[in-house]
Amino acid sequence: MAEVVARAGVPGPRGRLLEMIVVGAAAALIIIFSVAVDGFATAGNLGVMLSNSASLVILSCGMAVVIISRGLDLSLIAAMIAGATTFSTLIAAGVPAPVALLVTIAVMIAIGLANAWLIAYVEIPALLATLASAMFITGLFRFAILRGEYLLLLPKSNPAVVFLSGELMPGVPTPVVLMLVTVAASWILMRYSTAGRTIQAMGDNFQAARLTGLPVRTTTIVVYVFAALTALLAGLVMSAASGTVDFRTVTNGTLLFDVILVVVLGGIPLRGGHGGIRNIVIGIALIAVLRNGMTLMNVTTQMQDVIKGLVLLTAIVADKYFNPRDAETDTIGDL
Amino acid sequence: MPGSFTFSSLPKQPVPLVVVSPRRILADLLSKGWVENAIPFIAFVLVAGGIMLTTRDYFGATNLLNLAQYATDGGLLVLALLIVVAVGGIDLSVGSNFAMSAFVALYCFHILGLPTPVILAASLAAGGLTGAVNGVLAGLIGCGALLATLGTMITVRGLYTLASQARLVEISTSARVDDLWDWIGFERWLGLPVGFWALLIVAACVFVMFRQSRFGWHILAVGGNRKAARHGGIQVKLTIFLAYLLGGLVVGLAGFLYAARQNSVGSDTGVGMEFFALTALVVGLGGFVPGRGAVLSVLVGFATVYLFNNAMINAGYRGDFVQLSMGAILIVILAADVKFRKNRHRLLASTYLDPVRVDIDGVKGMDGLMPHEIRPKLREAEILAPGKLDGPEDVILDADGNLYCGNRDGRLLRLRPPDYSRVEVVAKIGGRPLGLAFDPEGRIVTCVAGMGLLRVTMDGAVELLTDQTGRSLLSVQDDTTIRMADDLDIAPDGTIYFTDATKRYDIENWGLDLLEGRPNGRLLSYDPRTRKTRTVCDNLVFPNGVCVTHDGKFLLVASTWSCSILIFDLANAAAGPRVFLSGLPGYPDNINRASDGGYWVALAGMRNPIIDQSMKYPALRRRMTRRVPPTNWLFGNLNIGGVLKLDGDGRIADALWDAPGGPLYMITSMREHEGSLFMGGVTNNKIGRLRLENADNGWTGPKSYWGEG
Repeated sequence: MAEVVARAGVPGPRGRLLEMIVVGAAAALIIIFSVAVDGFATAGNLGVMLSNSASLVILSCGMAVVIISRGLDLSLIAAMIAGATTFSTLIAAGVPAPVALLVTIAVMIAIGLANAWLIAYVEIPALLATLASAMFITGLFRFAILRGEYLLLLPKSNPAVVFLSGELMPGVPTPVVLMLVTVAASWILMRYSTAGRTIQAMGDNFQAARLTGLPVRTTTIVVYVFAALTALLAGLVMSAASGTVDFRTVTNGTLLFDVILVVVLGGIPLRGGHGGIRNIVIGIALIAVLRNGMTLMNVTTQMQDVIKGLVLLTAIVADKYFNPRDAETDTIGDL
Repeated sequence: MPGSFTFSSLPKQPVPLVVVSPRRILADLLSKGWVENAIPFIAFVLVAGGIMLTTRDYFGATNLLNLAQYATDGGLLVLALLIVVAVGGIDLSVGSNFAMSAFVALYCFHILGLPTPVILAASLAAGGLTGAVNGVLAGLIGCGALLATLGTMITVRGLYTLASQARLVEISTSARVDDLWDWIGFERWLGLPVGFWALLIVAACVFVMFRQSRFGWHILAVGGNRKAARHGGIQVKLTIFLAYLLGGLVVGLAGFLYAARQNSVGSDTGVGMEFFALTALVVGLGGFVPGRGAVLSVLVGFATVYLFNNAMINAGYRGDFVQLSMGAILIVILAADVKFRKNRHRLLASTYLDPVRVDIDGVKGMDGLMPHEIRPKLREAEILAPGKLDGPEDVILDADGNLYCGNRDGRLLRLRPPDYSRVEVVAKIGGRPLGLAFDPEGRIVTCVAGMGLLRVTMDGAVELLTDQTGRSLLSVQDDTTIRMADDLDIAPDGTIYFTDATKRYDIENWGLDLLEGRPNGRLLSYDPRTRKTRTVCDNLVFPNGVCVTHDGKFLLVASTWSCSILIFDLANAAAGPRVFLSGLPGYPDNINRASDGGYWVALAGMRNPIIDQSMKYPALRRRMTRRVPPTNWLFGNLNIGGVLKLDGDGRIADALWDAPGGPLYMITSMREHEGSLFMGGVTNNKIGRLRLENADNGWTGPKSYWGEG
């Protein structure tokens, strides 16, 4: 029995193959960029790469947990922006940072609960529920807080912003620490908690999990609240680094796309059930190297999008091959 | 002792013209197929009504034309998405694809200087290319549609931004003018903008495709159930590919029309269009439903969202508030749809049974004849063909003494005299054969539950006489089809009178009709010469047995749950029935002629005081059917039955009771033949025969009806 439980998250040999290919591709890219691009293989660039990837990693942890549970959270970026907006509005209004943080956490839990309620209790397919809630959240925050604007500027001198964008210890940037904390938390959640085991069981076979009496509804709440909290952390990191909260991040869809790209490239099948934090590390390695290298090579954002789009298309074709699925038993949510 | 009653002195039986009940209307609406389409129409009416109340002149001709001009691209995108969703996919790339197609059109027009038809072809090719890529990924390879189209969405958007940034200045400074191009972009034809005509034509084509074409049906089949479609021999992957391709072509057309109208593109062209189209689709379909090609509903949904958007912006609300409201509407519709779909059948099941208060006359005219007062005469009955039959509801004998009866398996059987032990199959009818009668030509006419009125010749040929009658006025449920044809008799002029015992329950649920107690049945007539079926009298309480009186002028109809026998004047059936006999001690089933000018009435079961009392409390019966398992319901006693002998005036002359332990139980029919009474039962596996004292030993049914010939 113990052996069965221990094997639950391990994909078959073919799933491993995709991971190896991605690791190989990342390694090859690192070698190519190191040779071809000046300033790629430096310690400073490594630090930049880590800092720049922090928010993406944090979001990917949230998305990975959702996808492993056979869900999908398209409202992740909207939640991220909502969290950042709430926090920055509060600190700009002079509320002490800890209080502001507590209020924001409450808001994010509410968002996570709302998503989970729509999915687990109202039983709307996750894809559609989060699509609609993304529209609702973005509209609500732009309407109620931003009064129609796209951008919210952060008070640069506020100690909270300085703390979030600065270094915790010399040489250790706060975003990187937050990233590591999130990764550790996700790892503990998936590896050692009861909820993590239930999440994998739900992803593997939802009906079986439900019929064996696992608390699938409450676990869905855990999943989406966790995702919303990662979105909060990512939002804080990202807005502190850039000094703005930009609602166009939601509308242009690039960040959401990057997050899904990381998860899929890391080898977590979209049907859920398999995967862990290792997969995120693998996925992020490739994407971070690719982004960083392309930026150093002065590739435009649009061209980067095109290249990432092609990488995603390749990845999902590979995913189809390595994690074959039976489209005939699909339900509406399994698009 | 021939009948000496006067019809006009019998009490009238009131028959309601219409049965109106809110619960029944709700139940009937819920069982309609179109009830799911009601959501977009209600939403549209609400939005249009709201706009009409708040905005003046919104629906004026100028504004409508203006709206129509700009509705084209959105409408086409929704149709493209409908095609893809109908096949079971989703296409997030419609917005990017739309922008790209528009750019291709502008590039071809302003920079390459091509003629307009070639530009159209180029736009279609551009749209079709993205559609084909989606189709290859999601259809031929079988990747997840959401991710695949998300990938193409980002890729095409990136390519579009690169291309349009490089060429935008050149395009906007070009001075090329072309008559056809401008006509498509700005002119009207027959009062409507050209682009809007394109939308209408495409909508009509998609409509016809889903309704009439093989390909459209394949799309719906694949979207409905992929496995079933494959087992049905449909090329699933190819169909999905073609659906994406077709969706891409429609998007290409939308891009072309947009380019002709706007003559420019911007960095935000088509951004968010996929979400707009998806919202319109969800509103239109009342949820996200693959396998449905409801073009009209989707267009109504599109009009709702489009008008709502437009009116809110006009009224000064900002885009963010509109986005907020659309998100909220989307959530509400999705939630309502999911809950409605999940609970519709439960709601239907709990509202379908709709009991009503029924007052039944107390037992009358049975002095000295009740089971505890006389000996059970059927105990002496001889049992024929035990175990060889299954549910002979009716029995009939021809002049030679051959016995015919229906069987539960849908066959018509014959038993030959004198020992009636061997069973032969006359015909395989199907359904559940119930009442039987001989016509003048010696053929058997039979009522078959679930099928209608059929005629069987002695060589086994089966002919359907009728299975439909006229629809009753003000009925929500379509009651044209005869649901439970029960018993029949043939008047001297050849007209067949037969009953449809209940319009609301199938034969396996006839018990529910008792608990409902409503007048759900009807008396019908079929004229073999004109082949016309007519409803003689609607809204009767479980009309069951039918018998033409000995003089051929009247018709007796047993009304089972009201424990009475009605009588119709065949010369003036429209005047309605009168009560021939009421207050029977049990539930009357078939009625047949007796040799002495009286009638035999089968009692299928016995009343008891508890069920009689509960018939006065409809709420009790409703709660009982919802809370208590069917085996524990209060019901009439069907374990014991009997046969009543009436004289020609409708007085009960004698009662033949079954003994408490059988042998015949529920008796539903009996026929007198040469001094014997043959009895069948709908749940029996045998036929009973009882020698009658004082009966005319030469009397047979066919002779009584059609004479010696």
